[in-house]
Amino acid sequence: MNNSHNETSGKDPNYWRSLRELSGQDPEAFEENANEFMKGVTDDFDISKLSQVSRRKFLALLSASVAFAASSCTNYHDKGEIIPYNKKPEEITPGVANLYASTCTGCRNACGTLVKTREGRPIKVDGNPDHPVNKGKICAIGQASVINLYDPNRLKTPVRLSDGAPSEIEWPIVDDGMIAELHKASSAGRQIAIISRIVTSPSEKMVLDNFIAKYPTAKVYSYEVFNNGVRNAAWRRSYSSGSFPLIQWDEARVIVSLEGDFLAGEGHTIENIRLFTKGRDGFMNTEFNRLYMVESTLTPTGIAADYRLRLKADRQLDFVLALMNEIAGRIGSPVKTPVTISLNDFVRKENLPAKTVEHMVTDLIDLSGKAVVFAGGKLPEDVHVAVNALNEMLGNTKLYRTGEAEVVQMPAAQKADWENLIGQMNNGSVPIVIHYNTNPVFDLPPDYGYESALKKVPFSIAMLLEENETSALCKYALPINHDLESWGDHNVRTGVYSLQQPVIYPLYSTRQKEAVLLTWASGDRKSYKDTVYHDFIMNNWEKGVYANANSPLDFRTFWFTALENGVFVSPKNASPEQNAHTAGAFQAASLSEIKPVPSGGSFTLYLKENYSIGDGRYANNGFLQELPHPVSKVVWDNYAAISPATAKELGVDYYDKIEVSLGSRKQEFPVFIQPGTADGAIVIELGYGRWKAGEVGSGVGINANMLMSKDARITPFIYNEVSVRKTSGTYKLVTTQEQHTIEDSRAKDAHLKRGIIKEGTVEEYQKNPAFLEKEEREKISMNKNPEYVGVKWAMGIDLNKCVGCNACITSCDVENNVPVVGKEQVNNGRIMHWFRVDRYYSGTPDEPVAFTQPMLCQHCDTAPCENVCPVAATTHSPDGLNQMVYNRCVGTRYCSNNCPYKVRRFNFFNFRDHFADGYYLQEPVEMLYNPEVTVRSRGVMEKCTFCIQRIMQARENAIEENRNLSGSDVVTACQQACPSSAIVFGDANDPDSIISKFRAHNLGYHVLVDLNTRPNITYLAKLRNIYPEV
Amino acid sequence: MSVDYSKEFSVIEGRPTLAEVNDLIARPTETRPDRLYYIILTITVSMLLFGVVCLGFTFYYGIGEWGNNIPVGWGFGIVNFVFWVGIGHAGTLISAILFLLRQKWRNGIARFSEGMTIFAVMTAGLFPLIHVGRPWLAAYLFPYPNEHGVWVNFISPLVWDVFAVSTYLTVSLIFWYVGLIPDLANLRDRTTGKIKKLIYSVFSLGWRHSNRHWHHYEMVYLVLAGFATPLVLSVHTIVSFDFAVSVLPGWHSTIFPPYFVAGAVFSGFAMVQNVLIFVRKIFHYENIITIDTLEKMNKIMLLTGSMVGYSYAMEFFIAWYSGNPIEQFVFINRAFGPYAWAYWIMVTCNVISPQLFWFRKIRRTVPIMLIIGMFVNVGMWFERFVIVVTSLSRDFLPSSWHYFTPTWVDLGILTGSFGFFFTWLLLFIKTLPVVSIAEVKGVIEGAQVEHHIAEDSTAYRPRQQEDI
Repeated sequence: MNNSHNETSGKDPNYWRSLRELSGQDPEAFEENANEFMKGVTDDFDISKLSQVSRRKFLALLSASVAFAASSCTNYHDKGEIIPYNKKPEEITPGVANLYASTCTGCRNACGTLVKTREGRPIKVDGNPDHPVNKGKICAIGQASVINLYDPNRLKTPVRLSDGAPSEIEWPIVDDGMIAELHKASSAGRQIAIISRIVTSPSEKMVLDNFIAKYPTAKVYSYEVFNNGVRNAAWRRSYSSGSFPLIQWDEARVIVSLEGDFLAGEGHTIENIRLFTKGRDGFMNTEFNRLYMVESTLTPTGIAADYRLRLKADRQLDFVLALMNEIAGRIGSPVKTPVTISLNDFVRKENLPAKTVEHMVTDLIDLSGKAVVFAGGKLPEDVHVAVNALNEMLGNTKLYRTGEAEVVQMPAAQKADWENLIGQMNNGSVPIVIHYNTNPVFDLPPDYGYESALKKVPFSIAMLLEENETSALCKYALPINHDLESWGDHNVRTGVYSLQQPVIYPLYSTRQKEAVLLTWASGDRKSYKDTVYHDFIMNNWEKGVYANANSPLDFRTFWFTALENGVFVSPKNASPEQNAHTAGAFQAASLSEIKPVPSGGSFTLYLKENYSIGDGRYANNGFLQELPHPVSKVVWDNYAAISPATAKELGVDYYDKIEVSLGSRKQEFPVFIQPGTADGAIVIELGYGRWKAGEVGSGVGINANMLMSKDARITPFIYNEVSVRKTSGTYKLVTTQEQHTIEDSRAKDAHLKRGIIKEGTVEEYQKNPAFLEKEEREKISMNKNPEYVGVKWAMGIDLNKCVGCNACITSCDVENNVPVVGKEQVNNGRIMHWFRVDRYYSGTPDEPVAFTQPMLCQHCDTAPCENVCPVAATTHSPDGLNQMVYNRCVGTRYCSNNCPYKVRRFNFFNFRDHFADGYYLQEPVEMLYNPEVTVRSRGVMEKCTFCIQRIMQARENAIEENRNLSGSDVVTACQQACPSSAIVFGDANDPDSIISKFRAHNLGYHVLVDLNTRPNITYLAKLRNIYPEV
Repeated sequence: MSVDYSKEFSVIEGRPTLAEVNDLIARPTETRPDRLYYIILTITVSMLLFGVVCLGFTFYYGIGEWGNNIPVGWGFGIVNFVFWVGIGHAGTLISAILFLLRQKWRNGIARFSEGMTIFAVMTAGLFPLIHVGRPWLAAYLFPYPNEHGVWVNFISPLVWDVFAVSTYLTVSLIFWYVGLIPDLANLRDRTTGKIKKLIYSVFSLGWRHSNRHWHHYEMVYLVLAGFATPLVLSVHTIVSFDFAVSVLPGWHSTIFPPYFVAGAVFSGFAMVQNVLIFVRKIFHYENIITIDTLEKMNKIMLLTGSMVGYSYAMEFFIAWYSGNPIEQFVFINRAFGPYAWAYWIMVTCNVISPQLFWFRKIRRTVPIMLIIGMFVNVGMWFERFVIVVTSLSRDFLPSSWHYFTPTWVDLGILTGSFGFFFTWLLLFIKTLPVVSIAEVKGVIEGAQVEHHIAEDSTAYRPRQQEDI
């Protein structure tokens, strides 16, 4: 009222609506003006007719209904309780990785590892830099083994398998039952067989000893499919005692390897690669060692070799004897071999390149004492005896390492032991067989008849991670801890004790296998507790290792120091009990015992280890199945490798099938024409064709183990009495590289012509270090060349040191959450590896010269991918990275088309969902993922990031420590894994950094430099240490 | 034979009256569809639905349902896109460029080919959207202001594509619609159905055939023709930039823009010719879409086909002349590598078959020209396949070479695109006049003021009658 009154009074008096108003005397008009509404306007307004809902109530209802609608539209799922640390664990800072030293037990090399854990879950396994043998590196298998921890197929509780249907049972019931049965068997004097892998752990050996002490009828049968048995037996024949020594590969100037794939499978390959490539360091040296490889098919060692001879495995004995005869003749040695074969005749008979053989002979003689002849572990004993004699004759024993040797904790079971055991199993006198994480049904040659014998054992136990062929026939399957959930100590090298510690509490109701035996050995199930084996090892160490170490520390400090370091190296003389290599006097008589290899047909079957899945134990590991074969690039399969000439003879082509038969043992294999295979050789890799290996591994590849025989005439791996015939049908082998390029005349040597691989000889390089034509001309570019101030990231790869071991690939896969896509999708060209190792051939299909080249995003300064992305999802960072913005990417794939290196990878599917019905979407696989790296959705492009998460981490640390970021702060996953340290990474703007020197190196080149992409990966050209061709 | 070249032949035969023209052209829109129409519609809709199902698989599971891989990141999706954009070239060329060049024979076929242009560009426009890995984010391809401050990458040819194709579609649509206005008014005046009348009334924008209307109409049409003309050349030029701007041998080539435009006109004419042959037969338009007109189209196909053949030869020459071994390899690989079959299909269909049009008899024989036109369409599809797939499948690093094999989903979506295109076309021919009534009336003999009136106009065309 007041308000309107004021307005009225404030009005310009000149405005009026009526005369009456103007006069100001009409009370009605005055009243009208005073009212808010004009007369009549509010006539219809009746408060009683209005809704009784108040304004407040209305607003309350409105907001409630909106909130209700909004909340019902979200896809909120109850994800369970989320409990923050109400008391932060001392060691864990969320977002910061913890590293724990441990040991990998993937093979008998027992490498020291560093396990990276995030918020309590192990996400990556790398080598332990403090370990004196593997020095911070582990192989592809070790890298990939972490996924086995989270494998959905893992056995989660003890299972009783009798009477068909499996039923879950409780550990105490198992313990009680077993203890009773063990007592019964033991008191009845009947054998209890424990079938174990090669024992690498002194404490484990003690567990077994304790067990045998409690149950005296127990007997341990340890084995490994690929072992050093032959080599050591030959050593004892040549030198009466000891075991085959380790070789100083780094000191060798000339290496002649007879089927000895020491860079990929023979011995401690990580150490071998490191030592061997020291002699082939293009960055540091101009002096190279020279490697001669005599082998039946192309292997990674053969790729690294300067000269190769193709020879069937059964001819190696004749070859080495002929070589001895020739050398003995030339140097005037009195050594006589029992078989008088002249080298010339042998060369002519086997159609070997005479010039190469001549080089080999003169090199061995000229550099005697700095040369070494090495024979593969699958060759017959006689070859090794002859090799020992040859090395002795040339004085090459200087290259044997004397201070250290491989330690054998427990002798492996021999053929007679197996026959004995199986005989007893068959006649029912073995009531209990304990498979101690082994799979003899698959591993042993079938003519032992182990499978049928096992069925007659009333109490067969399998302790294992996940179901296998053996457990399927056992009465009980007991789940054991994964490596990363286990305690252990491993001693495989003189004086080196590698400790294994759990980094996560067991995910399931599993127990450490040693703890199970300890419990049974104690005779009381109540003696079991989580720490039983931990206590046992500590106790053991206190009495053993610590007592011998004469350490000034108290035991607990000593123990925790060792645990933190992951390894304890005892002074060499402090461990006298270790059967180190002892070179006694050479027994010349051993030579005379050599018998000629039984003659056979025109084909020689050579069974060898594969490069990914071990002896088959990693069959259920998708990462490893999808790892391309280092030579053929086949994934998810094994095959019969034959030479082009043999293929012609058999009338077969790629992917045709041949039947390989050895008497009654027959198996069909797809053919893979492997360039560089010896004519007549059929080379097949073992470990495939498992039929009970989980959802990923079952039925992958073809079982070649069944071709092995315990009564093999030569060795269980070499058969020259084999017959081969073509059968109908084909079998598609999937490779990550097209196979036909070596045969296609138009594509021949494209890698050399296009400047993808640059090569030279050591001699050329010594004469003229700048022999490599530099093509780094300034080119005109439409784009502004970016200028980098501060750090600029770049990588260098020394092709001389790359042996194609694949460790980098797996390391990258695990670090960057790269999915497994499966055989079918690899066939469709959709493998997701960010990092690949390309293999090229030049030369002829018979005598190829092969190259390996790691290929990954080149992080080009003027990247062609960046220009064409319509949505700017791939961009350049100021520190020289070519970046992918996943959440901006719509997936046009234009960037990949325009990438000359084709290193970009596209998520054609949600591969985790698509592979094996979402096998890797099951719990608990997501625990594996590196939380620092986005898990890419389908429809998104991805590629190598130079491990940007590690760069960011390093940058954060530098900021925190108030210093400049330095190139050496960052180690990429591939670099970290590379056993030969062929990969360097760092700041190209830092003139003192190794990478700057790499970029300026005489051998340095960039791939496809003509395109002016200005790549930031510098390769060092491949040098071969060959004689100039006249 | 003596022909008086100072005289123009009428492009319309049989001297129809204006009313007859009205009746003839409007008839399909005024009669109920017959059995044949339904049968064909069933086929095209089935094809379309099959494509939709395949698209459903693609959206649900991912692009992995297609044959694409690394290195062949683009497969059928982009092949189909370029193919359909190419098909869409004849329409505007006929209606705009030939209009500006005063080629009266275009009047009989302009409307139809413009319609085809629109449907072809609509079909083409689907592919860039469906071929991306995450189609639900395809809007990122458009520059729109957003809170992230992220803009599109203006140096990417795919962004140019977005503009080129959408501009072309817009201008073609407007041009087509403007041309339709007088005819819509005509239909409005003829129709008796209430709903039809309403629709035609709305869309004819109150056209009253007044002189003033005609005056404005002619001017607008001329201006739009001027607008559309550069677009005819620019769209496929820009599409060719998708390839030419890249570094890939086999793509990275300066010949691409003219080569692509010639190819597009070539395939567009082949498609127009193919479909018109059926339309003129079924709707009895022989006098409007005459053999003469078809022959002229065939001549254009002969010309553009020869240009395409020249481009193929020139690509090889330049590859050799460049001295670049990778470039040389790519072209030798095209002709003799694993995709040689596709290459030789392309050469046979695109280079050899149109050369038959040198023979007048063949140019004027409907069944043969139909077959050649189909060959050209097949060939032009394969041309894009050869360019896209063979170049990608074997590029710089032999280690990454990989063969591309299409899946049934790829084939399904290709089928679906034909279904989509022809379904629109079928709906078009029953709802709108497929020939411009107004423009045809304009070129009937006697419709225009002429200097000399022929005493006997039939004297000019004895030849044509015997050919029919």
